[in-house]
Amino acid sequence: MNKSAMHITLLGAGLLLAETLSLQGCAAPQPTPDMLAPTEAQMKIRSLQTRSFDLRDRNAAIRGVIASLQDLGFIIERANEGLGLVTAARFAEPNYYDVVTITVTVRQETTEKMSFRANAIYNNKPIEDPKVYQNFFAALQRALFLSQESTASP
Amino acid sequence: MRRTRAIVRTGAPVAAILVLTALSGCVAPTEPAELFALTPDIPKNRTMQTRMFETPNERELLSASAAVLQDLGFQVEESQRPVGFLRATKERSAREYGQYVRQVLVLILSLGKLMQPVDLHQKIAASLISRPLNAEATRQEVRIMFYRVVWKGDGQVDNQYIPPGEQYMEMIRDPEIYQQFFAKLSKAVFLEAHRI
Repeated sequence: MNKSAMHITLLGAGLLLAETLSLQGCAAPQPTPDMLAPTEAQMKIRSLQTRSFDLRDRNAAIRGVIASLQDLGFIIERANEGLGLVTAARFAEPNYYDVVTITVTVRQETTEKMSFRANAIYNNKPIEDPKVYQNFFAALQRALFLSQESTASP
Repeated sequence: MRRTRAIVRTGAPVAAILVLTALSGCVAPTEPAELFALTPDIPKNRTMQTRMFETPNERELLSASAAVLQDLGFQVEESQRPVGFLRATKERSAREYGQYVRQVLVLILSLGKLMQPVDLHQKIAASLISRPLNAEATRQEVRIMFYRVVWKGDGQVDNQYIPPGEQYMEMIRDPEIYQQFFAKLSKAVFLEAHRI
């Protein structure tokens, strides 16, 4: 009698354990098919990060990006003419532990238009502040306009 | 009486640690937007980092720059001629006598509770860009930026061990280094370096 009671309790415990295990198995993360699909927020950030200017010369556009980043005090870390890629970084001056990294890609949209896309990272977090991108594109516009001025002058 | 003395005895190092941590914590974190704004010292740095050369030969200017950087002990790590870009680095020891003295002084003042990490190793880097200033490309501008990344040794705050390897970055703002570089460069290309 005693023995069978023990058997029942053991069986109960075993069942309980099996159930919890199977329940845990059930709670596996559901695969989300739209994980890589663009969300509205992503689209908004992308539109903030992208700007086009009326330009024909790709090399001049890349050099303009470099000049604008240098004007903002950035160090050019990498540049690739073939891919139209510029990567630069800047340290926060009184507090040397913070760093901002920016990657700009230049693509020819049409023969008349050049598209610029900038991605900025603060330490290891992407920057989503629109003001940052506005500031950068203002500096870029200035650099491109100045170089256009100098190409116009003899 | 004895109790107050004990409080004073334990209180002194704790106060020292508090003051030191408060001092190091004084630096407010920088907002990312601040790093994209033009500050008054940017034009000053630009003048220090930039020279203009009356030459149509950008290629020659770039290869001479690489040669000068090599003379200064740098290794060229990356180069892109179509956009006039060069990046070079050199690694050196960052040990300074003064830092060791300060470390010992702080250790004594904090009664052995605080051992500040000292700088051990550094990587000095130079990023150089040349670009034509006019359409005929008879005038070229060369801009160079020097900076360094420093790795620290280990330390200790009270019972907590600070592992080595913490790093910080610093722009090199000593005008003499830039003057030295441009003097060598103008000698190498037989041209005068004009300030902008």
